[in-house]
Amino acid sequence: MTILMTALYDLGYILIFPGFLFCFLVGMLLCGIDRKLVARMQKRVGPPILQPMYDFFKLCGKETIVPAAASKTTFMAAPLIGLAALVVIQLFIPVFGFTAFSGVADIIVILYLLLIPAMSSMLGGAASGSPYAGVGLSREMVTVISCELPLVLVLLAVARTVGNAMGTGLCFSLSTIADFQAANGSLILKGSMIPAAIAMLMVIPGETGNHPFDAAEAETEICEGMLAEYSGAPLGVYKLNHAVKMLTLTSLFVALFLGGLGTGILPLDIIIMFLLCVALTAVSISFVHAVTARLKIEQIFKYYWTVVSGLALISLVLAWYGM
Amino acid sequence: MFKKLIEESTGRSPWLFHINAGSCNGCDIELVSVLTPRYDAERLGFKLTGTPRHADIVVVTGPVTKQSLPRVLSAISQVPEPRCIVTMGSCPQSGNVFKGSYSVAGPLSKYVHVDVDVAGCAPKPEAVIDGLALAAKILKEKRGQM
Amino acid sequence: MDFPFAREAISKLFSKPSCNMYPAVPSEAAPNYRGRIVYHPDKCINCGMCERVCAGGAISRTIEKLDEGDRITMTFNLGSCTFCGHCAGFCSRSAIELTQDYHMIATREEDLLVSGSFIKAAPKKPAPKPGAPAAAPAAEAPACGAEAPAAEISPRDDGKPVNDPSKCVYCTLCAKKCPAGALTVDRAAKTWTLDEDKCVGCGTCAESCPKNAIII
Repeated sequence: MTILMTALYDLGYILIFPGFLFCFLVGMLLCGIDRKLVARMQKRVGPPILQPMYDFFKLCGKETIVPAAASKTTFMAAPLIGLAALVVIQLFIPVFGFTAFSGVADIIVILYLLLIPAMSSMLGGAASGSPYAGVGLSREMVTVISCELPLVLVLLAVARTVGNAMGTGLCFSLSTIADFQAANGSLILKGSMIPAAIAMLMVIPGETGNHPFDAAEAETEICEGMLAEYSGAPLGVYKLNHAVKMLTLTSLFVALFLGGLGTGILPLDIIIMFLLCVALTAVSISFVHAVTARLKIEQIFKYYWTVVSGLALISLVLAWYGM
Repeated sequence: MFKKLIEESTGRSPWLFHINAGSCNGCDIELVSVLTPRYDAERLGFKLTGTPRHADIVVVTGPVTKQSLPRVLSAISQVPEPRCIVTMGSCPQSGNVFKGSYSVAGPLSKYVHVDVDVAGCAPKPEAVIDGLALAAKILKEKRGQM
Repeated sequence: MDFPFAREAISKLFSKPSCNMYPAVPSEAAPNYRGRIVYHPDKCINCGMCERVCAGGAISRTIEKLDEGDRITMTFNLGSCTFCGHCAGFCSRSAIELTQDYHMIATREEDLLVSGSFIKAAPKKPAPKPGAPAAAPAAEAPACGAEAPAAEISPRDDGKPVNDPSKCVYCTLCAKKCPAGALTVDRAAKTWTLDEDKCVGCGTCAESCPKNAIII
């Protein structure tokens, strides 16, 4: 009986709360808020907040064309792989005190899983057999490599800070980090963590492929890059992936730096979490989108490996010596 | 109910793909001006896409020159159903001042079924918004018939 | 690294958007905007000048022979028009007007056609001629113009224009075009007079005549 109950709970976690349905609704909402905010910053009215939902359902009703040169199975499966990986990450990220599957995953797993959505779009692009997708694919690869170094440094800095306090050297467990913050206040309040938090904010638009760092999906120059050959429902799933990625990264930021703001009541925690995600989206994605122009791929690489990595490194060095 | 939802969404999220078939750039600029803060077609869900595979509405400008005709037709055939073709300005509708030229193969309606004609040389952005809104309505009807 | 638009973006976030909410709020075209063509057939005299000046070839004219005269139908294809306004500018009778209506959207090409027709009465002169009433109206027009008077009209040797009254519709275009102001055309009285002292013999009137009634 208990096994059955546990299985039911797990299914509920996967399908409803931190899992698929929650990801879908909140991701789409975040994406809509982002589009609205960018429009308002550009003195436009902007689309309705539900616009990404309309886009998704419209794409579900469109014809799906599979190019003759494409490898069909990979082409159709790639977006779903990405979506599955994102939902799994969401299951591991704690909502303040609550984690759906605690104790089975840590920062390192999330780091690996974060690569899969990018890999899935590369896979799909490569399977489509389009030269534009080829160019987009190589650019996406460079973007992922650029973002990965600062992200690793940020995660290490956080792990070292919490590990120092717990006396374990390095602490990679997300639930321990959440517990530590619940007991000792948010990590962003520590002076040594501020550069890492700023670096993480800069990593968010790069990881999601948002505006100044979207050389891989530049619609005006390389016809949307890896998505060039996608149409219909698989394209809709890619758009959903993009929306969920925004939720994943912003909620990862909340889990790493803004923990400890929870109240212990789950519905209230979810609302606080959502509001924090909106605020982070506004600062790190919408605002940056509104004020910058698209960077070249080598500029993206240089920016991430110098400015952002430098900030993260400062934090890491400070944290290493226990400051 | 799901079908109804898709039909409703189709009318609210028409994505455009713009083909320049030898246009003088007048209509192209007017089409882009529809997306500027002054007119902001995005509030109606319009979005300019970079590839015909993502598009719902194909906007053709220019008199369809002989060089561009095969490209125009192949780009239109890449657009997944339901799709809607809009001619913008006088050129794709008749050839305008270029008609009778050795290099002009138009009008476009000789080759594909055109859903909406937006006349003007170049049309005012308001007229373009009206034409695109009509195209979105036709798109919704086509989706309902699928 | 600097962001010149950062402050602007934040201030715009809290200010009113500058959108024209077009479909909800109607919008007027600017003064003198050249939009949909309106044709007044009651003013038209069938001189054909508009058709000649139209760069886009948007104007077509069909002439249908009827008992009481010719039925003239002018068709303006807005799908072929550049809205340059030449037809309206050249029209001596202001029968063509470009309005401020920019809403020209059609799902069928026929919806973009603007047309009007009127009946131009046959010339009065041939009526007294014996046998003319019995003849078909098609024969009437050449009866007055082509045969007998054609022999009378011959170019002058001083290079000045001569008018063929059988061809002339008194549209006054030659008088408008004459750079020296040597021509006076009275449409009501159907007279065409040349001031020979002023005439420079440039030939503009012959070029501008839509009916080719003037010979140099």
